[in-house]
Amino acid sequence: MWRQLARASAPLLRVPLSGSWAAPPASAGLKTLLPVPTYEDVSIPERPKLRFVERMPLVPKVRREPKNLRDIRGPSTEDTEFTEGNFAILALGGGYLHWGHFEMMRLTINRSMDPKNMFALWRVPAPFKPITRKGMGQRMGGGKGAIDHYVTPVKTGRLIVEMGGRCEFKEVQGFLNQVAHKLPFPAKAVSRETLEKMRKAQEERERNNQNPWTFERIATANMLGIRKVLSPYDLTQKGRYWGKFYLPERV
Amino acid sequence: MRITAPAGGSSHGFRPQVSHNPSLFPFHSAPVRSSEGNGCGRSWDSARRPPAPGRLPALQTVRHGSKAVTRHWRVMHFERQKLMAVTKYIPPKPAINPRCVTPPPKRVQEETGLIRLLRREVAAVFQNNRMIAVCQNVPLGAEDKLFMQHRLRKHNILVKAFPNQILKPFLEDSKYRNLLPLFVGHNLLLVSKEPKVKEMVRILKGVPFLPLLGGCIDDTILSRQGFINYSKLPSLDLVQGELVGGLTLLTAQTHALLQHQPLHLTALLDQYVRQQHQGDSVKPATGQPGPPDSVPDS
Repeated sequence: MWRQLARASAPLLRVPLSGSWAAPPASAGLKTLLPVPTYEDVSIPERPKLRFVERMPLVPKVRREPKNLRDIRGPSTEDTEFTEGNFAILALGGGYLHWGHFEMMRLTINRSMDPKNMFALWRVPAPFKPITRKGMGQRMGGGKGAIDHYVTPVKTGRLIVEMGGRCEFKEVQGFLNQVAHKLPFPAKAVSRETLEKMRKAQEERERNNQNPWTFERIATANMLGIRKVLSPYDLTQKGRYWGKFYLPERV
Repeated sequence: MRITAPAGGSSHGFRPQVSHNPSLFPFHSAPVRSSEGNGCGRSWDSARRPPAPGRLPALQTVRHGSKAVTRHWRVMHFERQKLMAVTKYIPPKPAINPRCVTPPPKRVQEETGLIRLLRREVAAVFQNNRMIAVCQNVPLGAEDKLFMQHRLRKHNILVKAFPNQILKPFLEDSKYRNLLPLFVGHNLLLVSKEPKVKEMVRILKGVPFLPLLGGCIDDTILSRQGFINYSKLPSLDLVQGELVGGLTLLTAQTHALLQHQPLHLTALLDQYVRQQHQGDSVKPATGQPGPPDSVPDS
């Protein structure tokens, strides 16, 4: 098709944005071919597919760990930004990923992607947190159960799988959304641009909110003694998180 | 409200555990609605004896519900629900409703080179060709369409397709304004320099659905019926000849009447001369074949 040689230099490893197209598309009803982006600076690593993820760590843990649900609660502090790729699955809630989820993601993505032009990488570690279970039919008591399986905790705002290469978001969005719907928490496929747009939209909402009363203001000032029914975490989470759930409409 | 069971895990019921409470704050009585939503608690021990006066109660309940992070949506405290309702997002509203204001003019998109090229082509087509017929772009198979195009091409009729978006403004400006109602929906233009209408109609008749809508020949707009009538007309020379004959009919008749008598006389004289010659020429030429009056035997 039509190739544009040496387009305006895009940042390294970034797909040229739609703003760099030559002419705006013609009105509907007329077929006008747009220039095709060139991916000269994009290199595909030698193992483009998702690698196999172990069921349990190579050195299984002996000490049984407490439940620690703090690792699900609230926003994520790690792995919230893109590194090498341009598209990813973003977690919009907290949860645990176990080996079955990893296998589902690995198989679906490896099957749907084109290894010559796309690459994918994990942004979550392999399951490391031991989850104990008691045998079936056992009564309460008798100590903590034995380690049954391992999981990876995921918080809201974390990227799970990242993809990149000589492809556009539309090609990748389909199967990434398909995978995202199967995860145990709400998730969606994002690209660098869409993530930026989401964050900007949130900031915009915060700025042009006509409501003079915000959760943050009331909680930090402890108006009406509301901190009696709030948690100290609510001072930082500001009503946008409730347990493992994320409330995107909240401001 | 929770009654802590002993760690031993005996199978027969459970005994309430006494929680030692050094402070002297009063014990909350039982039937208080638990907002955390877990089951009812029991404030008394199994013997249902009220505590002795002046003594701390034997049992202190610890009020708890579910943990902070649950799989289900944990029910919020009512005060918190009220807080969440009060602090909802309110989007900004413009002072005047946009429905009451005329919308701003839409940005006109610059036309691409393709549109300009198509415009030039359309202008050229209407300039050069004498016959332009419009037919509906019926979805024939590609093969069938190709055959039709081939047959038309043999008579030097070209099949052209242009977007209506370009064609309509062009027609509005030019003198073909009355062709505008034809250009609705998918259509094809059949154009040629010589108006070979008969062949075109014949070819289109081969297709059972004849989508010919109309057209223009030599700046004359014709409907479908007009095309068929045009095709039935004789060719130009014939028509010219007829016209000339019709005009000169009277003079020709006069001429014939005037010349009739001398011609008749000449013919008679010729015949007489021939007869005379026949009588003379029979004698010298004996080897001649018989007079033409004799009928040869079949």
